Amino acid sequence: MRILIAEDEPVLAGQLKKTLSSEGLTVDVAVDGAEAQYLGETEPYDVIVLDLGLPIRDGLTVLKNLRSGGNDTAILILTARNDWTDRVDGLDAGADDYLTKPFHMAELSARVRAMIRRKAGKSTPVFTKDAVTFDTRTNQVMVDGIPMNLTSQEIAVLSYLFHNSGRLVSRAELSEHIYEHDGDRDSNTIAVFVNRLRKKLGSDLIETVRGRGYVIKAAT
Amino acid sequence: MTSLRARAVTGGILWAVAIIVLGLAGLSSYLTSQTQARFVEVLETRHAQAVVAVSNNSSSTQDLVRAIGDLAYQVPNSGQYWQVESDEGAIFASPSLVEARLPRPRSQNQGFIRREIAGPGEQGLLAISQWVTVKDGSMWHVQVASSLESFEEEQVILRNTLLTAFAFVSFVGVLGALTQVAVVLQPLNKLRQDVSGRWEQEDGLEVESYPIEVAPLVNDINTLMERNRDIMRRSRRQAADLAHAIKTPSAIMRNELENLDLGGAEVQEAIDALDRLDAQLKRSFARMRADGTDATVGVATDVDTSLGRMQRAFTALARNEGKSFSAAYEQNLRVRMDQSDFEEVMGNLLDNAMKWSASEVRLEASEAADGKIKITIADDGPGIPKEEITKATQSGQRLDTSMPGTGLGLAIAHDLVHAYGGKILLSKDEKLGGLAIHMRLPFASAKRAD
Repeated sequence: MRILIAEDEPVLAGQLKKTLSSEGLTVDVAVDGAEAQYLGETEPYDVIVLDLGLPIRDGLTVLKNLRSGGNDTAILILTARNDWTDRVDGLDAGADDYLTKPFHMAELSARVRAMIRRKAGKSTPVFTKDAVTFDTRTNQVMVDGIPMNLTSQEIAVLSYLFHNSGRLVSRAELSEHIYEHDGDRDSNTIAVFVNRLRKKLGSDLIETVRGRGYVIKAAT
Repeated sequence: MTSLRARAVTGGILWAVAIIVLGLAGLSSYLTSQTQARFVEVLETRHAQAVVAVSNNSSSTQDLVRAIGDLAYQVPNSGQYWQVESDEGAIFASPSLVEARLPRPRSQNQGFIRREIAGPGEQGLLAISQWVTVKDGSMWHVQVASSLESFEEEQVILRNTLLTAFAFVSFVGVLGALTQVAVVLQPLNKLRQDVSGRWEQEDGLEVESYPIEVAPLVNDINTLMERNRDIMRRSRRQAADLAHAIKTPSAIMRNELENLDLGGAEVQEAIDALDRLDAQLKRSFARMRADGTDATVGVATDVDTSLGRMQRAFTALARNEGKSFSAAYEQNLRVRMDQSDFEEVMGNLLDNAMKWSASEVRLEASEAADGKIKITIADDGPGIPKEEITKATQSGQRLDTSMPGTGLGLAIAHDLVHAYGGKILLSKDEKLGGLAIHMRLPFASAKRAD
């Protein structure tokens, strides 16, 4: 799952990136409105965390531009202003949720996870497919109730496939959603992660459609 | 300072009284002298008639009575008398004198003597007398007198007529003065009404619709209103900028402290202190906002536009939480509140309702019978017990600490609504069973068509 954090305060952006990355999310940071809009338009993010008080181009303008350009990525706005008018402006312009500064990091990551889940059309935080369960809140994966030890890349691949269960996901799409913007994207490594997941979680969890990609069928 | 109307009316009345008194005195004096002259003229004619009669018939009273034939001389005490005396002491008098006689002037002046004397029955008389010498060389003192009673009666009638006429003129004059004052002051009255009316609106006053004497004042009022709005906008922006500048570092500190906390460091006191700092900031900004509304002029908000925005925003938020939000409001309502203040009130209350509701929040807005804007927000949450209701609107009083938040939302809304002269009441909602918040907000008149 790829997240864009548009926040001009480098320390706060770093904290956000650290927290969300530690939860298995792939995080890019934009430090101004122009960069945020460019990345939002060119990269397939699952959630954009958008501060309204960005330099160069304010967050509200970025939000409006993204929405008017047909971008329907889930957007969480961050505002330091007290005014409800700011929040309503943002929500009215198409933001999905808001958070006011100062906020608890746990609250922010819960909101982000909930937004990803809603996008996947799922109301509960736990995915289940046969004996395998995946708790999006803790990134805990269990097989028959036994916790499994997965690397962050493996969790990233599994999480994206669960959130898009029932849909065929190409290697390219997977790599776009688990690697950072300027990271080294090698789609061959995706096959390596999928193989490891099969070994750990059972071979019938992820199906391969030869030459096209992967799918987790009928997860609940 | 005395009102312009009182000054104009008092000034007009004093001026009118002075003119009327002077006019009355002048006219009265002129007409009195005219009447007096005419009276004397008539008396002189009578005297001349008597002199002619004496010249021709100085032998006996009968002859003289016949010669001076006026009937008024025949009627006893009629007020018209003559009396002729020879130099030898013989006295002839008109029958109207009966037994009485007119006194002869002490002066031996041979000329014309005019004087006031007392006649029969203490009648006041004006008498003219003269010594005349007839053809036979004898001298006669010829005296005629006329009662002043008729003269005085005429004077009274004249005075009454004049007073009546002037009273009528005064009445018309005062009415005229009042009308004139009303006409002259009409633009000022219009200005007063416009100012109190437009105070509620965003538009300035139209300078062209006032006389040039008032136009500079109208301009000044427009400038003042605009400046007032500017001050408010500027101070709001400064407060918002300050909040912005403080909150991001506060968020950074909070995250660092929470990380330290997770790592087992003793930072709970620091986290508590930061919580207090954040709550205090929020409260102070809310207070600044509520206090700032005292100086707010010329603001109004389209309720349907604003609630439309709130509806779209809260429908999205309700969807996130799997709850339902519905809003029903009349069109063309306008509330006399700044839009951001109105949205602050609605945002805080709807946010609370959303947080506490089990599954449903409803919003209704309509115009009440007394012209106020009536807004109700109801939810199906646990509500607030009666005894806790007062506490709920007090700043920072959190009734239930199990939910996140500063407990300021309701207090902020309460303070803002009161600052605008509105009312806010809490009760149990009959339909949904949760809390119902009823507000009455000041109505703003319709925006000008231009």
